[in-house]
Amino acid sequence: MVSVLQRMRALRTLLAIRLGPGAAILPPEVTRIHLDFAFRINGGHRGARHFWRQFLPRLKYHNPGVPMTVTRHEAFSSPATLTIHYTSALHLPSKAAISSTTTPLTSSAPVPQSTPIAATVTTEVINMKDKPEAEILAKLMEITKAKTVRPTEEEKRMIKDMEEHQTRTDKDRAVQAVETARKKREKAMLAKAQGEVDALIKNM
Amino acid sequence: MANLSPCLAQMSKLSLSAGRQIAHSLPAPFLAPATKRYASNTKEKKPAGNPQKNKQKGVVEKKKKKGRTTYLQYDQKDSEQFSLCDAMRYIRAFEVGQKPTSVKYDVAVKLKSLKNGPVIRNRLRLPHPVSTDVRICVVCPPDSKYAEDALKAGAVLVGEEAIFDAVKDGRIEFDRCICQTDSLAKMNKAQMGRFLGPRGLMPSTKLGTVVKDPALVMKDLIGGAEYRERLGVIRMAIGQLGFTPEEMQRNIKTFIEALRKDINVLSEKINKEMVEVVLSSTHGPGLPLNGTFIDPNSKITPRELSTGA
Repeated sequence: MVSVLQRMRALRTLLAIRLGPGAAILPPEVTRIHLDFAFRINGGHRGARHFWRQFLPRLKYHNPGVPMTVTRHEAFSSPATLTIHYTSALHLPSKAAISSTTTPLTSSAPVPQSTPIAATVTTEVINMKDKPEAEILAKLMEITKAKTVRPTEEEKRMIKDMEEHQTRTDKDRAVQAVETARKKREKAMLAKAQGEVDALIKNM
Repeated sequence: MANLSPCLAQMSKLSLSAGRQIAHSLPAPFLAPATKRYASNTKEKKPAGNPQKNKQKGVVEKKKKKGRTTYLQYDQKDSEQFSLCDAMRYIRAFEVGQKPTSVKYDVAVKLKSLKNGPVIRNRLRLPHPVSTDVRICVVCPPDSKYAEDALKAGAVLVGEEAIFDAVKDGRIEFDRCICQTDSLAKMNKAQMGRFLGPRGLMPSTKLGTVVKDPALVMKDLIGGAEYRERLGVIRMAIGQLGFTPEEMQRNIKTFIEALRKDINVLSEKINKEMVEVVLSSTHGPGLPLNGTFIDPNSKITPRELSTGA
């Protein structure tokens, strides 16, 4: 396994999934978000894919209970849409825990049903075609009135730490690159000289 | 005798002339040492297999650096650990928009163990199987009772010669292979090990895939999963993305308990220990688990993690 320190440094990217554009808490009326776009970015599907790759994980982290699904298709002439499913206050799912969490189950017990999702009453569609990902996100935030998550003091400190670490590594990398280039050059020169000597011996 | 003496004379003449010829025909002085070297080489005996015996006196051999006999261990104090629900929340965020049936959670258990010691290898049936579409091949006489039972239990291929021929042609259309005890001799004779061995499909008594009644074992194999220790780590797929935290908890518990049993079965001299358990997924990062189900200060409920996508 990879060393613990190495893995922990990789895990600091978890901060990036907690904070940044897209880190927002959706109101309880939003029951589901569905994205529909093409496999390829041609024909204006670039923003949609970037939205999925960059912002949707953050949104999902802060709203773990909201199903977010993505359907992709071959034809890029078709529309790229983001559908927000709403339910009315009446249809909100009860906050009580489902049975599997309250009663201890043996290993042979049947699989509990996934949370029943509240019935969709209304939907709203955002057209994602030919739009950059930031614009799609802004539109989503505006429509759903989602609350942006701000970093706490500790998180701010961690972000600063990470930035410092990044600048340090960049500096180290530059130094190392010079050194590696020098070694490579020397090696090449040596090889060339060796080749000349060999050629001389052969021609003798 | 009369015949022999001229013969001897001829030989001596030949040897004499040969010697002279060599002396004369040396074309250049610098070639001489080369021929010399060649001659001395042929005289020298090749050393026999044992290097200890052939050790020259007074020559100190360079000592080889001795490697570790155990796998490297890291300080777990550096590790940040997560409760199962927290880990699942992160992983579900990383896997957003993926198909819940194709993305899998997997678990890696790091062991403290010897590099050259015995390894843990076993089969396990999880309470909530990860994949149920395993193609099983049963090697037994095609008209026997075993064949009938195996087909009923869901085997894809049943037979003897037909399977051997197919495998030799390179058509291996199964993921698991079970052999009936009486057919093993035939299987070995057909040299199936050469084809199935490298893929880990060759049945063996050690693994419990050579049995009296294949149908019984098949029940375990369908929905069962194999695991083995490689480089001191055991990795196994433990769930689908759509699983609820409770399902995952049950699966992980069963897995860890099975491992504990396997470790106890090993002889007393061998000391294996579980060091850490890491939960990961197809595209997600590896999150070390701390053994708790949910963090008491956590704002989320397991219910929120139970939605399908």
